[in-house]
Amino acid sequence: MCKHYPAFELKNVSFSLEEGKITGFIGRNGAGKTTTLKSIFNFVHPDGGDVRFFSKSFSENEFDIKQKVGFLSGGVDYYPKKKLKTLTSITKSFYREWDEKAYEEYLRMWDLNAEKTPSQLSAGMRVKYALAVALSHRAKLLILDEPTSGLDPVSRDELLDVLMELCGKGVTVLFSTHITSDLDKCADNILYIKGGHILAESDIRSFVSGYKVLKFHDALPDGALRQKLIGCRRSKNGYTALIRAEDARRINAACSDADLETIMIHIEKEGEK
Amino acid sequence: MKPLMKKELLLSMHPTAPLFLLLSSMLIIPNYPYYVVFFYTGLAIFFTCLSGRENNDVFYTLMLPVAQKDIVKARYAFVILLEAAQMIAAVPFAVIRQHMPLPGNQVGMDANIALFGFAFAMLGLFNFVFFSIYYRDVNEVGKAFVWSSAAVFLFITAAETCAHIVPFVRDRLDTADPQYLSEKLAVLGIGFVIGAALTWLAFRKSVRSFERLDL
Repeated sequence: MCKHYPAFELKNVSFSLEEGKITGFIGRNGAGKTTTLKSIFNFVHPDGGDVRFFSKSFSENEFDIKQKVGFLSGGVDYYPKKKLKTLTSITKSFYREWDEKAYEEYLRMWDLNAEKTPSQLSAGMRVKYALAVALSHRAKLLILDEPTSGLDPVSRDELLDVLMELCGKGVTVLFSTHITSDLDKCADNILYIKGGHILAESDIRSFVSGYKVLKFHDALPDGALRQKLIGCRRSKNGYTALIRAEDARRINAACSDADLETIMIHIEKEGEK
Repeated sequence: MKPLMKKELLLSMHPTAPLFLLLSSMLIIPNYPYYVVFFYTGLAIFFTCLSGRENNDVFYTLMLPVAQKDIVKARYAFVILLEAAQMIAAVPFAVIRQHMPLPGNQVGMDANIALFGFAFAMLGLFNFVFFSIYYRDVNEVGKAFVWSSAAVFLFITAAETCAHIVPFVRDRLDTADPQYLSEKLAVLGIGFVIGAALTWLAFRKSVRSFERLDL
C-alpha cells in the first residue's frame, strides 16, 4: 500500500496478520500507524496497493468483510450524548449475525449501563463498549487504533486481559499503540512502522531477543564497537546504546536484555542522526 | 438502505428538522416573503450535517458494513423526505391563506400553486450548492451553508422582484388560485423538474466526491 501526502508518505506498507494472535503495531507519533489503519478501510484512499481480508479483496467485498471486522479508533467516539441503548439499537440493525445474548452478557460482565451516554463513561469503559459491540456482531478480526491511550494502568491491564481472552477464542487482533509495555504483556507479533515504511514484522520474542542493551559509564567507545551501536543516547549514569544480539555475542560484551520500549527509543534515536 | 434510513431519522436528524416543518404555518402570515418558509428546510439540513460533524457521524457510518455510495444515497433520501414533508405540510396553510378574507401577499408571491413550483426549484438550487461543497469535505459544512444560503437568497430576491415588476409573473402567477391555473401548473411542473434535476446532479457529484474523500 502506498499513499503520498505533501509532507508524509506511506511507502510500500505490506504485512499480514496471524489468525488468533495479537499483533502490536508500533511506531512513534506521526510514523503512519493511523494512516495505515485508515487506508486499510478506505477511509483514506491509498494511491496504490491491495488490501485483503480473509483472502478476499476489500474493495470487492467491503460489505461482507465489515460484517466480520471490528474497527475501534480509541473507544466509542461518536454521538457522545446519545444513550448506549440508542446507539446499539441503530448499530445492530446493520449486522446479519448480531448476537443480542452475547451483547447483554458483555454489558453485564463489564458493568456497562445501557442507559448511560458515552460522555458519561470513562475512557476505559468507552473502549469496552466499542469492544462489546464489535464482539456482538461476531467480529473475527479486531483492529484497534490506540485503545489504551488515556487509560490508567489498571484499566489498561484489564483491557489487555480481555484481548488475550479473545485471542484464546480465535479472534485476531491488530493493536496500534505507542505504549510498548502493553505489547510486552500481550502481543504475539510485532509490526514496527517508521517514517511511513514497515521496519520490522516479526514475532515479538525474536524481535526483542534480536537486540541487547549496552551501558557505558564514562564515554562512548570508539572504533569498530562504535560502528555496531544503534541509537547512542545519554542516560542518568552515562550512555546507553542498542546492539544487535549477534554483534553482542561476537564482541563478548556485558549487556542486558532489551525490551520493546528500549529498542524503539534507540532505533528512533538512530534515525535522528 | 433500511438500516441507514433508520440511522438518518433516529440518530443523525437534528431535532429542529421536524420542528421546522411546523413553520410551514407561516404561509398564513398575511404579508411575508413566503419563499423563506421553505428555506427553513435548508436550515434543518445544515443543522443535521453540522451535528453530524460534531458527532463523528461520517466516521461512525463508515465503520458500519455499508458502501460509501449508500451513505450519500441515504442522506439524500433523508433530505428529499424532509423537503417533501415540508411541501406537503405547507399545502393546507396555502389553502387557508387563499381563503382568508384579505388581499394577496403585498410583499411578494402569493401562497399559490406557482409559489410551490418556484420553491421546488429553490430547494433544488440549495441541494446542488450545499451538497456539492459539503461532500468535497464534510468538515466544511459552514462554507457549504454560506454559499447555498447566498444562492437561495439571490433566488428569493430575484423571484420576489419579478413578482413586482415582470408583467407575466405579477399579473398571472402572483394571483389567487384557480386563476391562470394552466400557467401555474406549468410553473409547478417545470419547478419540480428543475428541482429534481439539480438534486440528481448534486447526488452524482456528491457520490464522486465522497468516494474520493480522505477522512
